[in-house]
Amino acid sequence: MIMKKIQYYISALLLVAVAAMSLSSCSEDKLGPTIFPDVDETLDPSSYTYQLDKFLKQNYLDKYNLTFLYKMPDISTNMNYNLVPATYENSIDLAVLCKYLWFDVYDKVAGEDFLKLYGPRIILLVGSPAYNPTSGTEIVGLAEGGIKVSLFKVNELSRFINNPYMMNEYYFKTMHHEFAHILHQTKTYPNEFNTISIGHYDSNNWQDRSVGQVASLGFVTTYASSEFREDFAETIANYIVLNDDEWNYILDLASRGWTSGDEDDVTSEFFCYYYYPNNDVTKDPVYIYDFEVYTVTDEDGTVHKYWRYNTDPATGERIIVYDVEDKDGIDGVEAILQKVQIAREWLKTAWNVDLDELRQEVQRRQFTEDGRVAYDINDLRKQVTEIQ
Amino acid sequence: MKKFLNISLLSLVALSTLSLSSCKNEIDEIFDEDAVARLDKAKNEYIDILTSNGGKWQMEYYANGDEPGYVYLMTFRKDGSVTISGKNEWIGYVEGESLKVPTYGSLTSLWDVITDNGPVLSLNSYNKYFHVFASPEDIPSMSEEDIDETGYGHEGDYEFDLMKYSNDTLYITGKKYGIDMIMTRVDAGVDDEVYMNEVVAMADSFFNAKIPQVYINLPNGIRWIVKDGATSILKMFREGDDEISTSETHNVIITHDGLSFMNPLTIDGYTIQSFIRQADGSLLCRDDNETTITAGDLSDVILIPSFIWKCDTTQFGGVFKEQVQSLRTELNNYSKRKLSSIQVTFNSNLNVYTVDFACVSGKNTFHPTFYMTAEAVNDNQVKFSYTGEGDAASAIYADRCPSMLSIMETISRTTFTLSAGSLLAPVDMKLTDSSNASNYMLWRL
Repeated sequence: MIMKKIQYYISALLLVAVAAMSLSSCSEDKLGPTIFPDVDETLDPSSYTYQLDKFLKQNYLDKYNLTFLYKMPDISTNMNYNLVPATYENSIDLAVLCKYLWFDVYDKVAGEDFLKLYGPRIILLVGSPAYNPTSGTEIVGLAEGGIKVSLFKVNELSRFINNPYMMNEYYFKTMHHEFAHILHQTKTYPNEFNTISIGHYDSNNWQDRSVGQVASLGFVTTYASSEFREDFAETIANYIVLNDDEWNYILDLASRGWTSGDEDDVTSEFFCYYYYPNNDVTKDPVYIYDFEVYTVTDEDGTVHKYWRYNTDPATGERIIVYDVEDKDGIDGVEAILQKVQIAREWLKTAWNVDLDELRQEVQRRQFTEDGRVAYDINDLRKQVTEIQ
Repeated sequence: MKKFLNISLLSLVALSTLSLSSCKNEIDEIFDEDAVARLDKAKNEYIDILTSNGGKWQMEYYANGDEPGYVYLMTFRKDGSVTISGKNEWIGYVEGESLKVPTYGSLTSLWDVITDNGPVLSLNSYNKYFHVFASPEDIPSMSEEDIDETGYGHEGDYEFDLMKYSNDTLYITGKKYGIDMIMTRVDAGVDDEVYMNEVVAMADSFFNAKIPQVYINLPNGIRWIVKDGATSILKMFREGDDEISTSETHNVIITHDGLSFMNPLTIDGYTIQSFIRQADGSLLCRDDNETTITAGDLSDVILIPSFIWKCDTTQFGGVFKEQVQSLRTELNNYSKRKLSSIQVTFNSNLNVYTVDFACVSGKNTFHPTFYMTAEAVNDNQVKFSYTGEGDAASAIYADRCPSMLSIMETISRTTFTLSAGSLLAPVDMKLTDSSNASNYMLWRL
């Protein structure tokens, strides 16, 4: 028995010794110094882009550890799309506008450490849209893994540099949207949100729905009606960037009944009222288009706001308006406000961020009280052009 | 325990084997430096190549295999900026001009050499005159068929793998779509706009819409017919073969000094790609130094039945000049008539070439017309023979203005040697008396 034990220990010792030899026999292959060359991060004052690079270093890299990629390497994008880089001039403008209308807002409302901890690490500018030719849609923004936000259509910025509505649509709403994704991917939002509009999402045909139709169902945009995570991000983003008129417009649409010219055709245009000129009943649908407001006074003196339609208001014909019955069984206004409230409470409890304060600060930076653009792009550009 | 010992021994053998083989170092060092260091070195070398000697390059750019190539001049600077100049219809489109108008444009944007699998030239900020080919926007229709290309655009590259540098030529490959292209160094003192105007003028001199077809003349005597040259998308087929069933199309680029096919092309055993413009206007293949592109023998060209040649009497010399002057005097004496033009064309009904002397009298124009036959003597010599006949008016005019007959008779007894400013677009043909060079005429298409 003792002998067996000795044999056992000898065998075990031999095994350990050989194993040790086999491990140590390659000790000559010690890791040497890194094969990667030292990257000199010193900015070259003679560089054509020195001023912008210095601005980005001071205001994004040093502050948030964020790389602001404006020289688009195509490997940073999905190679299945045909994309082009942003212009240098628009890159400057978007860099200063992002700081003023987005980063500075969160710094002020949520504290300077908030974006350092949770903000994106890469912002990539893309000059063109990212079209999906098969579906007829386009990507206006992407957030990948809570790290990188890609902004598209940057080359169109110069067309509406003083138009916060369009800039929100293309960039800042996108950034709030993508950041909302980053936040809820870090701390999940209450499941209660997902139950509000359950059964009314349509991930395949959302782009064929109309703004009015989805508002009546409780969504702030058509994209919000694609799935609940997008609904959550869209609700937050739109609540922040839309001014009172725009937000109330969404709620107004949500309060109505909607019907379709052809209920079997999901792509047919939706309308919410029938019009009867000179009391002659017509069943021809009168289509409406967004954002061109026309006011009609009903027989009982009620003032209705409508949108441009294919009957010429200049004819002076008396128009009697009848509501379409709201058959969807959903209180669209209530659903939207309920979603905002969940987002509001979640941001406060999970992140200590006041959604209304955030909205107020964004609005203050976008518009003056009398509705003019609140920022001067030339002043903002000086942050770059006057860098020495 | 015995079982354990057996396992231990087996393990010992296995570990020993492993330990023996694990340090066997049989891989030879192929490179002196590691991959990253070599890539970084290559990147810096290409930056130096691109920016040295003034940094000006001609890029022969192809967006895809279905469109012509376009020349761009690029001036690369160490500060990361590049000025891109071009003159083509797409720059015109960007500037709101008609798509058919080649327009000059020059704009500064950004560039870099980045490292991927190898060094890559990246034109990494948007330059509307160049990136128009990479934009995913719909391409405006140039024909009745309008296809929606939204999402695709021209599918041109703006990043290029730097493959090789040799003799001031950079060989590059579009990174995404893989089209091979070249960049050649241009003298730094060149004015971009002048240079681009010369490229467009070169294109105009090559393929003239009045010349319906030209020929690729292979060293073995076989010819390939080339049509639609003015579009830079050449329709080609072997002479004698059926055009409809055998023709193929190839896109080309017209550069500052010649013409190149997008890819090397092998026809009848000869591989051709790049052609240099010669002093006589023809194109000579750079690859074999033998193959040419011409409009064919001048004696064939001048006798093409569909052509209408207008005689430029201000460019007549010797006896032809004297006879035309006499004719003008005779016409003036004939109720103050004036010679408006002399035109030569083929009348297929009569199977003769006709010489039409257009004479103006007041508001009326008369066309006394004389008939002649023609034959090619050799590649560049031709002889006409007056038949002694003409239309009804010719007899009257021959009587009142005998110089008309004199001209016809002089033409008839002369063997003409033909020459043209361009053998590829011989739209101006000089007919010189083979026995007396002072006698000549200039005919224009």
